[in-house]
Amino acid sequence: MVVRQYAQELEYLERLTPHSWRIKKGFQPNMNVEGIFYVNQTLEKLMFDELRNACRPGMVGGFLPGVKQIANVAALPGIVGKSVGLPDVHSGYGFAIGNMAAFDIDNPDSIVSPGGVGFDINCGVRLLRTNLMLEDVLPVKEQLAQSLFDHIPVGVGSKGIIPMNAKDLEEALEMGMDWSLREGYIWAEDKEHCEEYGRMLNADPSKVSLRAKKRGLPQLGTLGAGNHYAEIQVVEEIFDKWAASKMGIEEQGQICVMIHSGSRGFGHQVATDALVQMEKAMKRDNIETNDRQLACARISSQEGQDYLKSMAAAANFAWVNRSSMTFLSRQAFAKKFGMAPDDLDMHVIYDVSHNIAKVEEHIVDGKPKTLLVHRKGSTRAFPPHHPLIPVDYQLTGQPVLIGGTMGTCSYVLTGTEQGMLETFGSTCHGAGRALSRAKSRRNLDYTEVLRKMEYMGISIRVASPKLVMEEAPESYKNVTDVVNTCHAAGISKKAIKLRPIAVIKG
Amino acid sequence: MEAVFIVVGGGIAGVTCAETLAFFEPEKTIILLSESSLIKTVTNLLAITRTLTKFDIKEVQSSEFSLKHPNVKLIHDTLAEVNDKEKYIITKTNKIIKYEYLCLCTGAEPKLIPQSQDFEEILGIRDTDSIDTFIKKINNAKKIVIVGNGGIASELAYKIKNTEIHWVIKDRHISATFVDPGAAEFFLPSLNKDEIQKEPVSKRMRYQEEDFKKSGAALGPDWYTNLIIRGAGDINIPSTVKIHYETEISDVSRDKKSEHPMEITLSTGEKIKCDIIISATGVMAKKLFKTKSDLELTNLGEIQVNEHMETNIPYIYAAGDVCSANWSIAKHWFQMKLWTQARQMGSYAAKCMAGHLNKEEVLQDFCFEMFAHSTKLFGHKVILLGLFNGQKLGTNYEILIRMTKGHEYIKFVLENNKLQGAVLIGDTDLEEMAENLILNQIDLSPYGDDILNPDIDIEDYFD
Repeated sequence: MVVRQYAQELEYLERLTPHSWRIKKGFQPNMNVEGIFYVNQTLEKLMFDELRNACRPGMVGGFLPGVKQIANVAALPGIVGKSVGLPDVHSGYGFAIGNMAAFDIDNPDSIVSPGGVGFDINCGVRLLRTNLMLEDVLPVKEQLAQSLFDHIPVGVGSKGIIPMNAKDLEEALEMGMDWSLREGYIWAEDKEHCEEYGRMLNADPSKVSLRAKKRGLPQLGTLGAGNHYAEIQVVEEIFDKWAASKMGIEEQGQICVMIHSGSRGFGHQVATDALVQMEKAMKRDNIETNDRQLACARISSQEGQDYLKSMAAAANFAWVNRSSMTFLSRQAFAKKFGMAPDDLDMHVIYDVSHNIAKVEEHIVDGKPKTLLVHRKGSTRAFPPHHPLIPVDYQLTGQPVLIGGTMGTCSYVLTGTEQGMLETFGSTCHGAGRALSRAKSRRNLDYTEVLRKMEYMGISIRVASPKLVMEEAPESYKNVTDVVNTCHAAGISKKAIKLRPIAVIKG
Repeated sequence: MEAVFIVVGGGIAGVTCAETLAFFEPEKTIILLSESSLIKTVTNLLAITRTLTKFDIKEVQSSEFSLKHPNVKLIHDTLAEVNDKEKYIITKTNKIIKYEYLCLCTGAEPKLIPQSQDFEEILGIRDTDSIDTFIKKINNAKKIVIVGNGGIASELAYKIKNTEIHWVIKDRHISATFVDPGAAEFFLPSLNKDEIQKEPVSKRMRYQEEDFKKSGAALGPDWYTNLIIRGAGDINIPSTVKIHYETEISDVSRDKKSEHPMEITLSTGEKIKCDIIISATGVMAKKLFKTKSDLELTNLGEIQVNEHMETNIPYIYAAGDVCSANWSIAKHWFQMKLWTQARQMGSYAAKCMAGHLNKEEVLQDFCFEMFAHSTKLFGHKVILLGLFNGQKLGTNYEILIRMTKGHEYIKFVLENNKLQGAVLIGDTDLEEMAENLILNQIDLSPYGDDILNPDIDIEDYFD
């Protein structure tokens, strides 16, 4: 990181519109393109506070502020357009979470970077609608929430609801939601309302390490791991009545189910394996980056291709996970209300991916190009009439699902033409954090502890805050601020706001 | 009589094994041989992270269990002999049962201090049977000696009220089985009984309602939660705990006429008078049956199993406290006689037997890649991950600590700037991240001490 005074840093940043800022070349070394980030007034302050804090003496450390990470990505080989920071951008491994970047596939230098996808590959959100209203569900919401994932691990027949053995897993990795469909867990039309129809065709399980596969298989009695969840939500506000009705959302008070899940441990291992391979590839191909965490390989190289194929397998795995949770949700509602899931109109409104890299066609400088688009903590948001969105949404644009953090509001947006041009059809993914937030004042005192551990002969370091923050900003990036910024900047359009009435951890 | 699968042992390994078999093989006959009519099942299972689960143990009547798993038949009996040549077992009551697959989950028994043979005042505590006797005796005691430094000894020192406690440990710090001296220092204030007195009145004397039955199987991880154990001291005077560090009991004697009839002599020469002595110094594998062929055992008497939980005798598997992992152990895992591992092994042994029967490939369960255990010590949530005490690392590692008194204690064990293990005490929300950092072996050198900087929130940094 270039060490400069805050005032000097500011010279590289320029306001473009009330909701966006330009990051000029030179902000970080070797930038091939400029950066851009989207903010409103509140988020802007957080963004700049974070940078100012990083500029203070003694603060040169491992955690770069989001704006620096966006600029480092702009220095990667083969990047086109701009390195885009979305309103929920915050510090992450290599790429910031909330950063998207596109690379020209026809440029032999172009790279793919696991840090640009994230470890939890194809972490994403799915929204199911129902024809139930708040008053139907309120009296039974506790029982409903409890029964939602009750059947685990017993699925249909003798097999589990999720791939239970090596052979099942292999098939699921290759087939994605086609596996779920074949096993009878989902409806054929679910696939229509899913990016890539819930299956990346280039998935190749043979490129996935045995360790990743082991890490993907479930332990008995759990759906896999802790960090996925579902929410029973109620429609609180409809901003775009027409778009909402295309999604089957007619009025306030209507009940939906939002499912959050990804590839978790499996994705982590795929990403980890790839990072190791890519460090070698970088030496061989003389690829240099500003940050070691931005390990990458040429798209056309063996390492690049292997990663894309195993990443696709992890993506398929995530879709199977969300499909399993869909199945369980439908079962639970059907049981509770004594009606079949289709009589409850429990259709998938849409399913979006937040951590993924995909090959897409875009217009760059007036010319059509084939790009590898990295979206990390970012959602695809294609405009109306785009060929890759389902027929139901051809006129509204692709539904974009934005989950708040657990327990806060969620939104449905739609993709716009402006987003297609400015951000390669990408928008935010949810809430975010600023890098630093002073939690409650802590009483850190190590004297006695260190004295007790002396005899062990182990080198002991202690963690402490380096400096007291000048201000202790509320550094949480609220989902409403994030969504309003995307709407105001025109990169996506608000359609529906949902409020959770029950949260279920899987 | 015959069954496709026979599982021996009504503890958590055996019951989990039978339940898992019932799930994978609903059409096959399964016999669970248990010494008691009460068996232990896992309830409230909660996945905290990929490898970490939290659960409660519930004792259920065998009839309730059979109702849930119709293809599991429960037999109350004790295993006497295994004829592995003709594949049948003989029980104490001379029942002969043929098997295709046999899984031995006979558990372990408390390892008492040697003097216990001569004195009934020395109590071992591990199973529900012993806690029954134990509570009755404690009720009449004003002065107690606790020997041992594991989880049970720690919880007893914390939980027993209205009595004078002398806690004898061979280590330099308390709870050495689980934590380092720093964490022990963090815990020490919790031994101050004044705070514990604040517990709700309604909980008092709860144990009298609990109907403990002789069962032979080990205690659950939360055996003490509903238990308020009181001594015979003045109810208004809190317990005092005096810790005797780095010492052992060298002699025990009895003087019936004295106010406190027992007297122990420590290796330091110090003498302590008391009413009873509680020995909680760990357990030993319990294998009290014969086999035709020799089972390969460790020098501690544990049954050796390979990566598929198979013993050296074909079609005989073993799981839980009675077995010893004799495979090439993953770097971040090691065996400990814990609830968590009993459950994991029981379940995995079932998967392996079912896989063998169906000629399916079984990948080793990922829980054996990394040690993970969640427990409660001195009223704090404790999560132990990987090589949490630098196990296997010699002195060739670094420690990074963050502690807020009475609130949290976080220790990262680092080798070559990669996370090898972690101790997380309190509500840290770091378990998921720590697990992934250990499994991924991400280089943490760029972050330095900032990885635990309390002002930096990195919960989702590695997502």
